[in-house]
Amino acid sequence: MSGSRQGLLRGGVDDVRAVSRGWRWGRRPLVPRSAEEFVLPTEQPVFPTDWSRSRPARMLREVVQKGGLEPVFRSQVRTSVEGLDVLARVEGPVIFAAHHASHLDTPLILLSLPDRWRRTTAVAAAADYFFDTWWRAVGSAMFFNTFPIERRGGAIATTPGELLAEGWSLVIFPEGTRSKDGWMGPFRMGAAWLAMEYGVPVIPVAHRGTFAAMPRGQRWPSPGRRQLAIRFGDPLHPSSGESAHEFASRVRGGVAILQDEDRTTWWDSRRRAAQRGTPDPSGPEIAAWRRLWAQSESPAATDATRRRAWRRTS
Amino acid sequence: MSRPGFVLEVDDRTPPLVVHEGEGFRLEHFPLGTRVIYPPESLPAVPDVDAAIQHALLNPEGADPLPALLRPGMRLTIAFDDLSLPLPPMRRPDIRQRVIEAVLSMAADAGVDDVELIAANALHRRMTAAEIRHIVGERVFRSFFDQGLLYNHDAEDHENLTHVGLTDNGEDVEINRRAAESDLLVYVNVNLVSMDGGHKSVPIGLASYKSLRHHHNAKTMVASHSFMDHERSHLHHSAWRMGRLLSDHLKIFQIETTLNNDVFPAPYDFLTKREWEWSIKDQASMLAARRGLAIAPPRVRHKMFHDLRAPYGLTGIHAGETEAVHDKTIAAVHRQQLVEVQGQSDVLVMGIPFLGPYNVNSTMNPILATCMGLGYFFNSYRGQPVVRRGGAVILYHPVKPDFNQLHHPSYVDFYDEVLAESTDPAVVEEKFEQQYALDPWYIHLYRTSHAYHGVHPFYMWYWAAHAMDHVDDVIWVGADRKAVQRLGFRAASTLTDALEMASGTVGPDPTISYLHSPPHLIADVH
Repeated sequence: MSGSRQGLLRGGVDDVRAVSRGWRWGRRPLVPRSAEEFVLPTEQPVFPTDWSRSRPARMLREVVQKGGLEPVFRSQVRTSVEGLDVLARVEGPVIFAAHHASHLDTPLILLSLPDRWRRTTAVAAAADYFFDTWWRAVGSAMFFNTFPIERRGGAIATTPGELLAEGWSLVIFPEGTRSKDGWMGPFRMGAAWLAMEYGVPVIPVAHRGTFAAMPRGQRWPSPGRRQLAIRFGDPLHPSSGESAHEFASRVRGGVAILQDEDRTTWWDSRRRAAQRGTPDPSGPEIAAWRRLWAQSESPAATDATRRRAWRRTS
Repeated sequence: MSRPGFVLEVDDRTPPLVVHEGEGFRLEHFPLGTRVIYPPESLPAVPDVDAAIQHALLNPEGADPLPALLRPGMRLTIAFDDLSLPLPPMRRPDIRQRVIEAVLSMAADAGVDDVELIAANALHRRMTAAEIRHIVGERVFRSFFDQGLLYNHDAEDHENLTHVGLTDNGEDVEINRRAAESDLLVYVNVNLVSMDGGHKSVPIGLASYKSLRHHHNAKTMVASHSFMDHERSHLHHSAWRMGRLLSDHLKIFQIETTLNNDVFPAPYDFLTKREWEWSIKDQASMLAARRGLAIAPPRVRHKMFHDLRAPYGLTGIHAGETEAVHDKTIAAVHRQQLVEVQGQSDVLVMGIPFLGPYNVNSTMNPILATCMGLGYFFNSYRGQPVVRRGGAVILYHPVKPDFNQLHHPSYVDFYDEVLAESTDPAVVEEKFEQQYALDPWYIHLYRTSHAYHGVHPFYMWYWAAHAMDHVDDVIWVGADRKAVQRLGFRAASTLTDALEMASGTVGPDPTISYLHSPPHLIADVH
C-alpha cells in the first residue's frame, strides 16, 4: 500500500517536473518554430508605469539600483566607461541610442551614467516582452525605470514623447530587439523621429562584450567577470531637411564609429570615417559560426591596476 | 477565428505532447523532427440552430421543401443515426432531437398521422430506452416510445425486412420493411466524419446481414483507399449502388448535419488545445486530471470518461436529395477536419482514446482498439496513407483483454477462438464468418438483449484490413503483451523501445508522423 502511494507520489512529482520543464515555468514560454506562423496576435494588457516615476518609486529605485543592482552587476562583470564628458556639453533631455546585443546592455548603460543622469533616464522596453505579465512589468519598471513601447502596434499607457516633454531622457535600442549573433542590425526610425519631433539630441552609445558575457538565451552572465566596454559619443542633431530615415542611418553610423573607436583609437576611427572606411557594424558575410565566434570574444581588459590573487614574481 | 490544421515539426522548443491511451493519456517526448499533424481548430457554430434547420427543410437540395412532401394519410418514417454518433455523445439537446422535432412539427401541421421513428443501428446493439431518449429528446420519446412507434431497427426480423432488389453488381438490397414501404423516409444523420452519410445512411443503417455482407468484407475494405474518402472507397461504391437502386423505389429525404471540433468539455478542453499554448490553468487541469486518473479505481476512471458529453456546435445542415446533400456535407466536414500533409513517413504514431463508435457506455476491448487504430485512425486520410507501404504503425492503448459480456458476447469468442487460429482478415472471413453470423444464440442476444450482432467483430477486423495489408509492423505502446500477441502484433513499454523494435522494418532513423487526434482530422496527403 505504502509502495503504491509512493509510486503515485513519484508519478505526481514526475508529472510536475515534466510540465515545469516542458512549459518553462518561471521563464518565457516558447513556441515551436514550425508553429510560429500560426500564433494568434494577442491583445497585450496595458500596464501603466507612471507610478514608477513618482517620488517614492524613484527613491526606492535609487536604493535598489545602488544597493542591489550595482553591486551584483559589478561582481559579475568588469566595465570600462568612456566618453561621459559629452554629457557635460548637453542639457537634458536626450535620447541615448544604443545597439542591442544582450540583457546586460540596459544595466551597463544606466550604471555607467552619472547619478544625475541615471535618475532622470527612462528605458524603452518592448511591451510584448517586458510587459506581458504584471510581475515582469512591475519588476522592470521598478529596477530599470522602463516604459513599454509597442513593436507590433497596440495600446500603450505612456508615450515616449510625453516622457521627453516631462524632461526624462530616454534609452532606446533602435534595432527593436537583441541581436542573434552580436552584430548590429538595421535601425528603425523611432528614435530618430522622436529626436526630430521633440528637438532633442541623440547620443550614440556603443558597447562591446555584452553579447560575449550574456548572449540571447542565457539568464546570467558567464563566470569569470567578463570585460564590458561602453563609449558615449558626441550628440547628434537632425539637420534641416533630413528625413527620419536618413537621421536614423546617421545615428547608426555614429554608433559604428564609436565601436571602431573603442576597438582602435579615436584618431584612427575618425580617419576611417572621413574616408567612409568605418567597418560595417553588421559584420562580414561569413559563415554563421564565424560571426558568432568573433562576437563571443570579450574585449581586452584595459584596467592595468587589476588586482591579482597571486602576484607574478617574474 | 479558427486556425487551420497544420503539421508541426518537433524541435527543442516543443513541450511534451498529449497522447491518448484508452481511459487516460500521457505526455510524450517525440524525437526531434517528428511531424505532428494537428486538426484545424473548432469552427464557429451556427448561431441560430433552429433557424438553420428550418432553412434547410424549406430550401432543400434537389428536392421539394419538406412541407410539400407531407400530406394526410401518408406513411412517414423517420430514421436516425444511433449512438455510435457522435463521439463522445453530444450534450443535450442532441442535434438529431432538434431536427426530428422540426420534421415532426411540419408533419403535425400537415396532418400526418402514421409516423414511426427507427434507430438505424444495422447490426449494432439495440439502444436502451435511456440512450434513445438522449438522442431524440423527451418530447419525441414520450410521444412515440411507449406506443411502440419509436424503436431500434432489427436486422434479423425477417418478416419486417423487404428485399428491394439486386444492384447491377448483383448485390442484395434488403432493408427495414416499414422504411421501404413508406411514402416518405426522412433520414436524420450526424456526419461526424467523412465516411458517414450519403448512401451509407439508409442502405447500411437499415439493412440486414444479407445486404451488408456485400461490402462489409475483407476484400472490399482492403480496396477502400480510404473508407474516409467515399469516392475512393469500394465500401461506399457498393453503398452508392444500393442507394441509387433504393431511390428508384423509395422517396428519401436526407438531412445531414455537421459538427465542429468541440470534442471535450471543460475542464478537459485542454485536450483540444495546442500544447505550447496551454495556460497555467490548462497545465493545472492536466496535472489534476493525470493525478485523478492515477488514483481513481478503474470503475471511477471509466465513469469519468464515459460521462463526458461533448459541447459540439453545429457547423452546417443540408437536406434534400441524398447525393446533392452529401456533396455539401462532405465540403463542410473537410472545412473542419482536412489538414494538408506533404509526403508519407516511415512510421505513423496514433494514440487510441477511450471511445470508439462501438463502445459507447461500454468497454473498448482489444478488437475495438484495433479497429479504432488500424481502422478509423489509419484511414483518416485522403490521397494516400500518412505512412508509406511497408512502414510501421505505433499505437498507444492498454489493450486489456476486458470484454463487456452484455454488449460484446461474440467478441469474446472471436478473440478466444478465431484470432487464436488466424489474424488474417481474409482467412478469418473464409473460415468463420458464416458460423458467427448465423449463430442462433448471437442472433437471439442481438434481438432481445443489447448485444452487437455475432458477425460484428469480423467487421471490426475487416475495418483494419487495409492497414494490415499496407504496413509491415504494428507495435502497441503500454499494452498487455499477451493480448497484443493474440492480435498478431507486438508490444513495447515506451516509444523509444517501439522505435527500436520498428528499426528492423524502417531502419534506425525513420521519418515519424504523429496523428494528434482527437479532435477528428483527415490528413490530405500529397
